[in-house]
Amino acid sequence: MKEHNETSRTETPRTRRRFLQAAAAAGIVGVAGCNTPGGDGTDTETEADSGGDGTGGSAPEQIGSGRSPFGDRELSGVSMSEMPDLEGELTLYSGRGQALVGELVGFIEDRYPDLTIRPLYNTAAELVSQIQTEGQNSPVDVFYSVNAGALGALAQRDRTQELPQEVLEFVPQNFRAPDGHWIGTSGRARSIPYNTDTFSESDIPDSIIAFPETSAFDGELGWAPTYSSFQAFITAMRILEGDEATREWLAGMQELGVSQYGDEFQVARAVADGEISAGLTNHYYIQRVLARRGLGAPLRTTFTQNDAGAVFNVAGACVLDTAEDSTLAANFVRHLLSAEAQDYFARTTFEYPLVPEVEPIGRLPTIDELNPPEDIDLSQLADLEGTIDLLRETGVL
Amino acid sequence: MATEHRTTADDDAGEADEQTRLPLGVSVAAAAVAAAVLLPVLWLIKTSLDVGFAEATALLTRPTTLEVLLNSAVLVVLTTTACVVIGVPLAYLTVRTDLPFRRFWTVVVSLPLVIPSYVGAFAFVSAFGPQGGFQRLLAPIGIERIPEIYGLEGTVLILTLYTYPYVYITARASLKSMDTTLIDAARTLEHDRWETFRRVTVPQIRPAVAAGALLSGLYVLADFGTPSIMRYDVFTRVIFVEFGTFGRDTATLLSLQLVAVTVFILWLESRVRGEERTTAGGRSRAVVSLGGWRYPAMGFAAAIAGLALVVPLVILLSWLGTASATVNQSLAFQWSYAANSVVIATAAAAVAVVAGLPVAYLSARYDGLLPTAFERISYVGYAVPGVVLGLALVFFGSQYATPIYQTLYLLVFAYVIRFLPQSVGSLRASFLSVDPALPEAARTLGQTSAGAFRYVTLPLVAPGLFGGAALVFLTTMKELPATLLLRPSGFTTLVTHIWTAYESGYFGQAAVPALVLLFVSGLSMLVILRQEGYDVK
Repeated sequence: MKEHNETSRTETPRTRRRFLQAAAAAGIVGVAGCNTPGGDGTDTETEADSGGDGTGGSAPEQIGSGRSPFGDRELSGVSMSEMPDLEGELTLYSGRGQALVGELVGFIEDRYPDLTIRPLYNTAAELVSQIQTEGQNSPVDVFYSVNAGALGALAQRDRTQELPQEVLEFVPQNFRAPDGHWIGTSGRARSIPYNTDTFSESDIPDSIIAFPETSAFDGELGWAPTYSSFQAFITAMRILEGDEATREWLAGMQELGVSQYGDEFQVARAVADGEISAGLTNHYYIQRVLARRGLGAPLRTTFTQNDAGAVFNVAGACVLDTAEDSTLAANFVRHLLSAEAQDYFARTTFEYPLVPEVEPIGRLPTIDELNPPEDIDLSQLADLEGTIDLLRETGVL
Repeated sequence: MATEHRTTADDDAGEADEQTRLPLGVSVAAAAVAAAVLLPVLWLIKTSLDVGFAEATALLTRPTTLEVLLNSAVLVVLTTTACVVIGVPLAYLTVRTDLPFRRFWTVVVSLPLVIPSYVGAFAFVSAFGPQGGFQRLLAPIGIERIPEIYGLEGTVLILTLYTYPYVYITARASLKSMDTTLIDAARTLEHDRWETFRRVTVPQIRPAVAAGALLSGLYVLADFGTPSIMRYDVFTRVIFVEFGTFGRDTATLLSLQLVAVTVFILWLESRVRGEERTTAGGRSRAVVSLGGWRYPAMGFAAAIAGLALVVPLVILLSWLGTASATVNQSLAFQWSYAANSVVIATAAAAVAVVAGLPVAYLSARYDGLLPTAFERISYVGYAVPGVVLGLALVFFGSQYATPIYQTLYLLVFAYVIRFLPQSVGSLRASFLSVDPALPEAARTLGQTSAGAFRYVTLPLVAPGLFGGAALVFLTTMKELPATLLLRPSGFTTLVTHIWTAYESGYFGQAAVPALVLLFVSGLSMLVILRQEGYDVK
């Protein structure tokens, strides 16, 4: 999609922007019948796109061959060609949108003449309910989720099986379940986008808790409280700091006059436009604006250190206990960790590849350089109920 | 009044006897249909039992529970009232008057039913929300604020605009099959038009209007998308918070509570129905001349339909401008999606009418516990949120009907259970308007009972039959939650395609199928209305 006059301040047609806000406010999953109403967050994946300005995956200049997004970047990691062949029938329940991963699934299926993949796309929360309801008669082999919470929910209910060691070894320990029952396939970090005309990196506190006391931020910050990743971040804060401290933090942020946006892509654009000077977003929105406007745009990423503001969440997969062919299922998950797939995630969504050899795209530190909070079990972040209540009480939502 | 019978009138003991012996075949069929509808509720109960007693009690007696129940009640009452106030006059105008371009309006005012209410809500929020398009139009002339669209008022507005067609379509069917000689009689008795409407027409169409209002009310009760977008806290929100945090069992427990509320509303509606009369079906077409009121009347129809249709259309068209040329393969629109939608909606409409016939017939013709119970039960599936119904059928499909699980058979079955009351409501109202003396006359002339039904009753109830089919068709076209849970892998309809584009933020790609959905549904409405013996060309 063409970004309309991306450089002017009154760029996109406001109606669409408002729609985006509304859409985010409802959580697009509202459409699917599984959001938590009241503008509460959901496990939807608008992050798969460019907020209505997407190019349907990678920007054209990044697609080497033009035939597929698996073109000509120097691939690192283990290529699919070095992996065991896939053959048989595989039922995949995907909580990641078809618009985002459909291409990858199709690519894997087309690679192997004897492989049939039957994908079913829905929201992660509904697929968890569906798998639970199907019980031991479930046809599903692999569940692919947009967040660790849904994977954790299935693991808690003893519906997953341990992945083979040689698959688990693809990613560092903190991106997979301790018992090996699910594995992350790509990641997203909470980050602070800032406008380089106003701030330098040293002006941004290392601690998210210090934000409300930072006078330079008065009237200069933006956030998107209806977005599920924002809510996961608040959930992390509740876990790390407690409800009371979180409540105070939210109140402090409101006293700063923080601006509310409908989604985090808008926050990142507003920062680049100078409408605000810093914000709270997932890391890839910043890359997306930069990809569109070029590195000359006055927008850069920084991260807080070892606190809720730097939570790193993953999308990932697990093999179900009902999988007919565990080997096939595990090898399919292995393909999601291949050089081609990892590169695909990096390029289409600007997510963090989780396989250490694959570099993220854009101006991002490598995963090792990030400092996310310790002692957070990612599957806890799905528990949004208390968070939503808190956001409502404080008038943020 | 002219030729009316109370259905169970004891004006003739012999007839009353006749009336109380239920026909076996029809009763068995109706019982089977009712049993099918109760399946999901069995699952609800079974799953709710997995929630511990202490937790269940705590959950059901939370202070917020009462608050959201009250909110839901207020919303249902206001919306239903507004639907009647809008739907009945529109039905009257398109059936009885010389409204200009009557046929055009007939189709157009029923179309808002096709727009999923959450799409309508998004559109309205983006047009009229703070900093929305409308606000920006007014900003130059110094209007800084427009009335808040969020909250109760906005929710009522949206839900009214997208559910009044329930009242409109049922009222319309009943007006069409009503005997207008009564009206002529009343007019000769020096009643003015308003008096005639109040004393003759209103009692005649009351059952149909009540049926339509019930459909609107229960839709509102079970809808969660709109209240959530409009930021109004209702009962369904609590259910979906539970779903979102993987609390399937608690969510179903709360849905049971919703079923209890539904039962209460069903009981309430039985009281409101009032005295139901059956009358001889009339054939005359008295057309009321609107005279100077023609254009204001047309303005009314245009305003309602315009508000409901144009706002989303404008928003959709503005998205079209954002459609991406280089979108990935999976989002390319294909006409087969439209074909898929039409095929399953047609199947669902046909099956729902067939399944609704015995239930509606019994309850219109016979008094007593069973006929009433069957008819009331048919509403239960409709009042359960779609995702809960979908999960219930996921359970039965995967456990007991593996061969049809994730096939179109089960999907159509789900639609039928979900939308059955839409056909039952219309059919029942039509049966009530057929004088039982007519098929009896056919019997005395040597027809079998089936023949009498086929050649006498069925033609008379055709408007209701097609009205019911139209309702089921239109609502199946836009059904999403159950579709997502039960569709076969790779089966894409217009709505699932809209959802796929939407949830990943490709609004431009959502616009095309949404426009096609409107267009195809409009065409289908034309076909359906032609069938009902109405000459729409």
